[in-house]
Amino acid sequence: MIHATLSYMFSVISDVDLIILNLLPPLNEKNLPWIDVIHPIVVHFVIAMALGAVVFDFVGIIFKKPNLFEVSFLNLIVATIAIFIAIVFGQIEAGLSNPYGVSRDILNYHSTIGWSLAGVLSVISGWRYVSRQTNPQVLSKGFVFVDIVLAVLVCTQVYLGDMLVWIYGLHTVPVVEAVREGIL
Amino acid sequence: MINFQNLYNYIFNIFGSVYSIFSIVIKSPISDISEKLGPNDLPYKIPIHPNLVHLTIGLFAIGIAFDIAGAFYPFEKRIFRFLAFPVTRVGFHDVGWYNVLAASFITFFTVASGFFEMLLAVPIPGVKSILGQGAITTMIIHAVGGIALLLVIIGMTIWRGYLRFKIRKDYGRQVSWSYLTLGALTLLVMGLHGSLGAWLASDFGVHITADQLLINGGNLTEVLQ
Repeated sequence: MIHATLSYMFSVISDVDLIILNLLPPLNEKNLPWIDVIHPIVVHFVIAMALGAVVFDFVGIIFKKPNLFEVSFLNLIVATIAIFIAIVFGQIEAGLSNPYGVSRDILNYHSTIGWSLAGVLSVISGWRYVSRQTNPQVLSKGFVFVDIVLAVLVCTQVYLGDMLVWIYGLHTVPVVEAVREGIL
Repeated sequence: MINFQNLYNYIFNIFGSVYSIFSIVIKSPISDISEKLGPNDLPYKIPIHPNLVHLTIGLFAIGIAFDIAGAFYPFEKRIFRFLAFPVTRVGFHDVGWYNVLAASFITFFTVASGFFEMLLAVPIPGVKSILGQGAITTMIIHAVGGIALLLVIIGMTIWRGYLRFKIRKDYGRQVSWSYLTLGALTLLVMGLHGSLGAWLASDFGVHITADQLLINGGNLTEVLQ
């Protein structure tokens, strides 16, 4: 009986791969289980909200409009929520992207900075929440520096992601075709 | 009896030959800079339009979303208090106004760069999108739609400004339901419009170095190291 149980468990474990494969619909000509890449869509909200928050901070300081600090805080919250969704889809689509040549390294950098950016954005939003509790009308000077770092990180990350799409063409029809034919 | 098919063919042939003469005589202005263009048909490595699009879509969508959140604020109040997350209705509407304002500012540049890069676009021939359209149809719809969306965004920003500073100045809910409805509809159109743009890249290979090299039989490993 023990033997039967063990062999049953073994068969379950060996079937796990199949089960995971069946969780996603079949892959299309872009090597995706859905029509288009979702990661670049979700990423709209991270990029626009993070860079928007930085710009609104600076505009608020220069033109002395403290209600813009609230705008950039709420935008940062959206960016923080969106980046985790972006990472979920980014990981799935990176796993299906079949990177080749140098694009493997770029994808590694993109993943590393992406995960780090999730942490950085969370810390910045949390810090902002705390400083906002005492006085939402005042932005501490240190935040100017933090904003610059955030903008640089986001721009680097966007550039790396751009390279994966616009230079290496991951998840585009011709590249996927070439990978399937073994050319790449 | 006149055979219309023959007549049509005859006229078409005349226009065809006239067109082919013109295409020899008039050189495309793009051929003047063709030697400065990289394998992706651009004078630089990464297209600008898809990057500015992040800002247009993100700012406009979240602007509308925050105005919707501001409109339903009385229902959310308890949830935010339960979460110990102090927010104000004015704050939500501030985000709605400033994000849409920023979107309308940046969209001029989005459309401008889009048109420049469309001038240099060389789509892969013979490809059809999921909707069954060819490259040129997709590009024309995307271009005309882009101008239309720019107009809608500008119009909605002006409307939003009037709502904020004049019409609903003394109201808690700063936006009318018609503004929110039109905003949501615009977002739907924007989603479809963005998909057309995405297919121009992923299906038609416009301005993607690897795709263009694969189609033209270039050496990928040499260019991409």
